[in-house]
Amino acid sequence: MAYIDYYKILGVDKNATQDDIKKAFRKLARKYHPDLNPNDPTAKDKFQKINEANEVLSDPEKRKKYDEYGENWKHADEFEAQKKAYQQNGGGAHWYSASGNGFNEGDFSQFGGGFHSGNTSGFSDFFEELFGGAGRKARGEAGFKGQDYNAELQLSLREAAQTHKQILNVNGKNVRITVPAGVANGQIIKLKGYGAPGMNGGPAGDLYITFFIPDDNTFKRKGDDLYVTAQLNLYTAVLGGEETVDTLNGKVKLKVRPETQNGTKVRLKGKGFPVYKQEGQFGDLIVTYSIQVPTGLTEKQKELFRELQKS
Amino acid sequence: MQNDLIIISEYCTKSHIEPSFISLLEDDGLIEITEIEDKRYIPVTQLSDLERYARLYYDLSINIAGLDAIHHLLKRMEHLQHEVRILQNELRFYRDIE
Repeated sequence: MAYIDYYKILGVDKNATQDDIKKAFRKLARKYHPDLNPNDPTAKDKFQKINEANEVLSDPEKRKKYDEYGENWKHADEFEAQKKAYQQNGGGAHWYSASGNGFNEGDFSQFGGGFHSGNTSGFSDFFEELFGGAGRKARGEAGFKGQDYNAELQLSLREAAQTHKQILNVNGKNVRITVPAGVANGQIIKLKGYGAPGMNGGPAGDLYITFFIPDDNTFKRKGDDLYVTAQLNLYTAVLGGEETVDTLNGKVKLKVRPETQNGTKVRLKGKGFPVYKQEGQFGDLIVTYSIQVPTGLTEKQKELFRELQKS
Repeated sequence: MQNDLIIISEYCTKSHIEPSFISLLEDDGLIEITEIEDKRYIPVTQLSDLERYARLYYDLSINIAGLDAIHHLLKRMEHLQHEVRILQNELRFYRDIE
């Protein structure tokens, strides 16, 4: 747990007036409010820090205590007790300032960390230590929603084509989710209430899962349509015939028309990717023929081609 | 149907929201309220919007007109992000083809 510089967080100096603090808080709160930054996972943390800084600096009593003991938060209670004792005893000796008392960085550095979300009150451990649980103002308004969690889930193209269950480990908790067929690369789905618990009676946060679907070796995807390239030998391309092509659900046999040109596309209706959350609906599979020119021809075969060329 | 509706008075008590705030949202058409036998309900589907309005209203002192404007802008942003994602995937498709 490290010292938190609330002045720095609000971007004001130590002599700032209440008005300056109010202005700085409002400006930053509007900039970093999590609802206005839905895709910034750090916004909630930033907003909480700003909120905490304002909680302290906008309250003259808390600000005084923070200014006096902030950097030596760990010994604030001891100071208070000694201060009281001195005052009760007539206090001949002068009161020493908290900042010059021989406590050095080593007293704090072992705690490390600083602000983290482990504290469910929404305030840092530093704040809780200095002001206690009762230090917080009672909010007469809506409770704080819990922190949203973000997770990334990698799926193969074939996995993404099927509705299936996945178990995600989110902050040490196993969350079983159903991934609907048809999710797209980069798509984010929200699982309401799977984030951190709410504060002050507020609702739990949400879990945002971003899907990452790497390229597939066989299929390319564009929306709900799939693209595949089929190698076609020259003879089938010229004379026509049959060709077996891969689909997501196995192989299909296609009739190849005579004199098929290189790059010819054939659309197979309904053989593409499942449409997200539209059960039974599929995109198309577009097959592109790539005609393979034979290599390693014998002299006889070359002669036949020459004859063809002349005819 | 009752399962999809939340009694407003209970919601307000639990979430420390003043009922007048809900009325303000309703008056400006930001949420729709259902009334059944003298009890006022809000559909579950509108709850996330209501929660967002409440946070913005109380945390940032944004007035009702501001909430409406923000709501539209966020929707628009969401739509644009969706478009960007589709375009990025398409771009990847064409890069792969090359």
